[in-house]
Amino acid sequence: MASISLQNVSRHFGDFAAVDGVDLEAASGEFVTLLGASGCGKTTTLRMVAGLEQNTGGRIVIDDEVVSDAARGAFMPPEKRRLGMVFQSYAIWPHMTVFDNVAYPLRIRRRPKDEISQRVKLALKLVEMDSFAARPAPALSGGQQQRVAIARALVFEPRVLLLDEPLSNLDARLRTQTGDEFRALQKRLGITSLYVTHDQTEAMALSDRVVVMSKGRILQIGAPEEIYRRPNNRGVAEFFGSPNLIAATARASRPLADGLFSIDVEGDGWSGQCQASEGFSPGTVVSVMLRPENMRISDGDAPAMSWKGEVTASVFRGAQRSLSVKTAAGPLNVDISAFAHPAVGSNITLVADEAAAWAMAT
Amino acid sequence: MSEIVAPLQAGRAERPASAGLWSRWASGRGIGVLAIILLLSFLTIYPFAMLFYGSLHSTPPGMAGEYNLNGYRQLLSKEALGILLNTVGISLGKTIPSLTLAVFLAWIIARTDTPCRDKLEVLITLPFFIPPILTAMAWAMLGNPQVGLLNQLFKWATGVNYSPINVYSWGGVVWHMVQYSTPFLFLFIVDVFRAMDPALEESSRMCGASRLRTFGGITLMLMLPALTNAFILSFIRGMENFESPLFFGAPAKITVITTEMYNSINHHATPDYQYATAIGFGVMILMFALVIAQWRLLRGRSFTTVTGKGYSPSVMKLGKWRWATFGFCVLFFFITVVLPVSQLFIGSFFRFFGFYQWDMLTLEHYRAVFSSSEIWRAISNTMLLGLGGATLTMALGAVVAYISVRTKWRGRRVIDALAWLPWMMPGMVLGIGFLWAFAMLPGPIPIYGTIWALLLAYLALGTPVATRVMTGAYAQLSFDLEECSRVHGASFFQTLSRILVALAWPSFAVGWVLTFFGIMRELSASVLLYSVGSEVLSVVLMKLWANGLAEQVSVIGLMMMLLVILFRYVQIKILQRYVTTLGV
Repeated sequence: MASISLQNVSRHFGDFAAVDGVDLEAASGEFVTLLGASGCGKTTTLRMVAGLEQNTGGRIVIDDEVVSDAARGAFMPPEKRRLGMVFQSYAIWPHMTVFDNVAYPLRIRRRPKDEISQRVKLALKLVEMDSFAARPAPALSGGQQQRVAIARALVFEPRVLLLDEPLSNLDARLRTQTGDEFRALQKRLGITSLYVTHDQTEAMALSDRVVVMSKGRILQIGAPEEIYRRPNNRGVAEFFGSPNLIAATARASRPLADGLFSIDVEGDGWSGQCQASEGFSPGTVVSVMLRPENMRISDGDAPAMSWKGEVTASVFRGAQRSLSVKTAAGPLNVDISAFAHPAVGSNITLVADEAAAWAMAT
Repeated sequence: MSEIVAPLQAGRAERPASAGLWSRWASGRGIGVLAIILLLSFLTIYPFAMLFYGSLHSTPPGMAGEYNLNGYRQLLSKEALGILLNTVGISLGKTIPSLTLAVFLAWIIARTDTPCRDKLEVLITLPFFIPPILTAMAWAMLGNPQVGLLNQLFKWATGVNYSPINVYSWGGVVWHMVQYSTPFLFLFIVDVFRAMDPALEESSRMCGASRLRTFGGITLMLMLPALTNAFILSFIRGMENFESPLFFGAPAKITVITTEMYNSINHHATPDYQYATAIGFGVMILMFALVIAQWRLLRGRSFTTVTGKGYSPSVMKLGKWRWATFGFCVLFFFITVVLPVSQLFIGSFFRFFGFYQWDMLTLEHYRAVFSSSEIWRAISNTMLLGLGGATLTMALGAVVAYISVRTKWRGRRVIDALAWLPWMMPGMVLGIGFLWAFAMLPGPIPIYGTIWALLLAYLALGTPVATRVMTGAYAQLSFDLEECSRVHGASFFQTLSRILVALAWPSFAVGWVLTFFGIMRELSASVLLYSVGSEVLSVVLMKLWANGLAEQVSVIGLMMMLLVILFRYVQIKILQRYVTTLGV
């Protein structure tokens, strides 16, 4: 298994930079996800690693082998890179059977017949499609095609597996199941994987590390929990769910043992303590991120970090109830137990878990 | 709220009255469907039946005769077999190089970074819209073994007294056909190239296959059903071709089915109608067999490679080779359009074509053409038939397509099948069928020998294409659009005019121009159905040519070329402006 290294990689179309100076390292066996809205450059980045598009700047190294170096004009075509890829449309060739589709990479490499049939069977077994080998490809469902596409990408033991939104064409239930199965398979084989998606839940559930991209640049790289709880900036914070970002002023900063900082903040009618990745000089205006699930209705006590307000909307979502509350600090979204149902128009007090409060520069 | 409810309740009160209207309308619909079936039958089944009758009857209509099988007996002769083999040979001989060329050109336009591809595409497809009779005559002047311009240039350039080019040959017939088949096939294939999901090819590259291997193993294989389809279609059209063998085959004693039919009527001491109709019927059976074979061959083999996403297929960077591919496209355009048009241009200004000296320059041919009442009449006939014929054909096609794809009315399958039937009838065969059909009509319906005969023939010949264009247009419009209009209170006819017509008219216009071109270029049926007073341009051109007036032919040819370019320009503008934005 191999590592991937992108060094200052860019892709320019005329004046437009689809990908702008991306630095990324994926260790051997790691599952790295490129996450971002459509047009953020994540697919272009993946395609540059694949060799389907040529980077106009920077270097791409796979397993200590430079596959593309814009400065030297070196470019290795995709077929020489020994990478497996699963496409969004699966790209299962309709004029072949399932077996022929999976056998294709081995036939290209002129493997002996016995070996081909053995390895194709093994690959199909891996994705639980071994009983479909003789089927013509158009007779498969979307989920089955996806499995065949994975088998085809794995059969020749590629150095890295690239996946371009492979789950986006499946329905919601199948998406979760297939995703979990794929992650288990990836862990078992220990294959380095680069995965592209716009779905944040998918990214968090599958990845070792998530790379959040926007406008061709990397906003943040980190483990799913880190990205979710400790975003670098508002862009990353807003990408996951709909967090409350409350304006506040920093009063004091203290470094903590784990490299983070504890910040005393004060806002409109509230004050409290939150954490941050950096210290702020007193008087700095910051955004405090509080996720709806980390807030609750006070049962009477009103600590410093609390907001009084009026319920303006209440939506039953099954697992929980979402409230919109008008407060002096602005409208706040809160997720509470579905069994509690404060009436619209009633006045409540909201409190937050200080450990979940995260301050960022605005 | 109550204000909205009130009129709805009022509407409910009217319901019994509207139910009566509904049943009246439904019966009106039945009559309409029946009328269309009758009209289509008159255009297809009737001439087809008359063809069969003619092939069994020893004399033309109205003359005493007997029923016998002499016509078919003649068909079984060794000579007739030779003609059949000739036809098949020529058609295969032109289809194979045309298909190869078309795939190559389509690949250049759809899949490489050759400069100015959009403009090249327009130029490459232009020959398809030029009436074949024009280029046939132009090439007869260019490649005449004695005085052809190309041969003269060769002699002048090399000093050798030898003519390398002789268009009056097997090669000449094939060459002229290739000029038409290539753009025709190109139009088919370029869209197949474009519609293909690029991931199908990219995944092959990721599996380790080179560009070349991917092209051969994936791209071409995925296109195989479409290519087979195009091949058979082009082969059928080759068998139906009349102009090329007439102009280049006949002088070299090369006879094919269409020219044999034509000769047996026009060039025999007594026209052998029975033989001609027997050939016509035989050809119909042959075409039918071919179409069935095509259908069976392709059943279940059309791969859906389109995922409905708008993507730009990966374009191959050719480096400096892109100028070679650019040059190749330009060369194709030069040979198929510029060369023949220049010949017409030059030919129109010299006293005799082939003698290109300064003192031979003249405008007398222009004077002769513009002062000839016969030519003016032919121009007005052609324009009248073109404008009226195209409008009627498209209207019929629009109605037929609507009934067959947008409704569940009874009789829609019959209508669809009838409208498709002329697809298998070569113009020559349909011409003879109509000749009989009109002659057999009772006296009070004087269609025979009038301009109406031509109009009906054009209507029949154009209907399959018109229907196909409109079917395609409707297929792109979701049913929701119509249903939404009905739900929001529009009646059936309001929906038709405000939604369907409003959305489908660009396709109608594009099909109209296509049909107009079809009428302008039509020769094989016209030459059988015209009579004095109802000549069209293509027939007049042929007569002038037969009388050795190639120079006047050039003048008319140039005028027709201007018309072709003008209409093609308008068509492209409509396509670009409306059809793409509507996604039709």
